[in-house]
Amino acid sequence: MSTNTLVLTGTRTNERLGAVLVAAFLGLGLVFMAGFAPAMALHNAAHDFRHSQNFPCH
Amino acid sequence: MIIRLVSAALVAGFLAAVVGTGLQFALTSPLIIAAERYETQASAAPLLPIPASLIVRVHGGHDHGTQNNGPRDPSVAGGEVAPVWEPGPGLPRMAFTALATLVGGVGYALLLGAVLLACNREPSPESGLRFAIGGFLAVALAPALGLAPELPGMEAAPLADRQFWWVMTALATAMGLYLIAIRRAPVSIAGGIVLLVAPHLAGAPETSHAASNLPAAYAAQFAARSLGIAFVFWAVIGLAYGWAWGLFGRNRPTHA
Repeated sequence: MSTNTLVLTGTRTNERLGAVLVAAFLGLGLVFMAGFAPAMALHNAAHDFRHSQNFPCH
Repeated sequence: MIIRLVSAALVAGFLAAVVGTGLQFALTSPLIIAAERYETQASAAPLLPIPASLIVRVHGGHDHGTQNNGPRDPSVAGGEVAPVWEPGPGLPRMAFTALATLVGGVGYALLLGAVLLACNREPSPESGLRFAIGGFLAVALAPALGLAPELPGMEAAPLADRQFWWVMTALATAMGLYLIAIRRAPVSIAGGIVLLVAPHLAGAPETSHAASNLPAAYAAQFAARSLGIAFVFWAVIGLAYGWAWGLFGRNRPTHA
């Protein structure tokens, strides 16, 4: 299986690092909100999703 | 690049949420609602001679405030504490389930995009699917080996312990898969295997084996369906992310 690698230049690397960090931060935040946030209102709203996706619940 | 990543993740998260929500409504939501009926029965009519400690009202008619509102007299059957907001039954509940699925789907898609980029892979449906399978293994299958998907009303260890074990297992599995599948040196493969196995050797927080009124068939069905849905959810995220990445790149080839 061939793996295409992105062409890297100096500025690209910085841009890429920034994109990785921003996306990871946003993604973790959203997953935390949907799956782990302890606020009861959030928990109740996301309840069925948490059970279905096997997040620890209650 | 970040715009392209976020756009592709939004598309992938949305498509996965559409599919995942449909599957949840068809397969798991009926089981959750059926399980809650047993649970409310158990808490509404504790006529059986069970020690009070076994009837931990985890749901107690969907009032989850027990831990947060401090100690409460267990003989007071709710009602004393102001009810915590929860979506109404039927359509509102389904709408919030769909919303949560969308938020979770976009979150996972963003993480998938970040990992693809960090691993220096050009996102495509193929590479997206490959990494999505890794995501499924890390956050769905591996944690489920220790903490089986549970229906409301099934007894379990304290929440914080389970969440901690869940997160550690997901991280260790993801790291292990990275070492095995991407690093591929003998030493890293050995380290990866250790990381894959370690959380299970350490052991998940103990599940209580107290008997429950819930029919075992429900629980078994729920566990299988939940993993199946998670797999489809991830597969759609991966395929759609790779597809959407190409879609958004076509307009601005210079910024690819």
